[in-house]
Amino acid sequence: MTEMFSTLYGQNEAQGPPGSSSLGFGLGKPLPPNQVTMAAQMPPQHGDEGPALRKPGAMNEPFYLLRELPVGNELTGNTNLITHYNLEHAYNKFCGKKVKEKLSNFLPELPGMIDCPGTQDGSSLRSLIEKPPVCGNSFSPLTGASLTGFRLHTGPLPEQYRLMHIQPPKKKSKNKHKHHRPQDPIPQETPSDSDPKKKKKKRDDDPDRKKKKKDKKKKKNRHSPDHPGLAGSQPNSNSLR
Amino acid sequence: MAEKFDNLEEHLEKFIENIRQMGIIVSDFQPSSQTGLNQKLNYMITGLQDIEKCRQQLHEINVPLEAFEYIDQGRNPQLYTKECLERALAKNEQVKGKIDTMTKFKSLLISELGKVFPEEMTKYKAIHGDDPPS
Repeated sequence: MTEMFSTLYGQNEAQGPPGSSSLGFGLGKPLPPNQVTMAAQMPPQHGDEGPALRKPGAMNEPFYLLRELPVGNELTGNTNLITHYNLEHAYNKFCGKKVKEKLSNFLPELPGMIDCPGTQDGSSLRSLIEKPPVCGNSFSPLTGASLTGFRLHTGPLPEQYRLMHIQPPKKKSKNKHKHHRPQDPIPQETPSDSDPKKKKKKRDDDPDRKKKKKDKKKKKNRHSPDHPGLAGSQPNSNSLR
Repeated sequence: MAEKFDNLEEHLEKFIENIRQMGIIVSDFQPSSQTGLNQKLNYMITGLQDIEKCRQQLHEINVPLEAFEYIDQGRNPQLYTKECLERALAKNEQVKGKIDTMTKFKSLLISELGKVFPEEMTKYKAIHGDDPPS
């Protein structure tokens, strides 16, 4: 019995070292031949992943599962995308200078109080998008019968509805189209903003005007014969006599 | 492209001016102003027709909804453009920082692995080639 066992183990030990070197294990314990064949058979039994995984592993020995590096994109976050897309001018225009906060600074010629939120008076663009008004496909001009609905009572509007024609203070606009506005049919109510400016201008001009007038008067009086200073400086004056 | 916007802008300005004049007529209405008002109403309809004609030329233009929120709040929509550019630049800088950090880490890791596993790293460099300069 012992001789049978010894012969068996003796055969295994002889086959062990060649098996271990083929697997690439250095000084590890040699596997019996049954387990070596099982290990060789294992990968195909996993299915589709086995052959795909073994290919890069076989290509890049001794590293297992070492894949090829992905193809790098030329455009990454490493480049300055603003210069790449030629947005330097736009960046300097919007971020270099101070952009004014109010909508009236963007649309200075638009009449009405546009700086108020649209949700207050139901004039928001979002409500227009979410609930578009139901209307016909085309715009047809109003006939005589339909215009009768626009006959209005004479007299001024109630104060709560008078704000529509008031314009925000006009500023220098850089629009290409400069429309010359025709004169209003009815004299417009003077907006309160323009009056203090006009008054301020007059007040500023008045002391300057006064000074100029004073200077002019002084010059006139000096050159006139009735001026006492000139009369005193002349040699033929009465005081010397 | 700019001509289409100029055309629409011109029609809108005329329309707004017409509406403004109608508001002035209505604010203190007189019987003699009725014919003028009727004329202005018809001008308003022709103005809407002209604006609708402009729509066909601009159907490819897309406006972000976030810009509309600025307008609804009474704010300058150029602030939206400004904030977009600032966010893009900040994100660009953030990603660049990540790339630089990862590049430095890679070079440091390769150098340290080269000290510990010199033979394996030479084989790795033979497979992948030399690292490109960061």
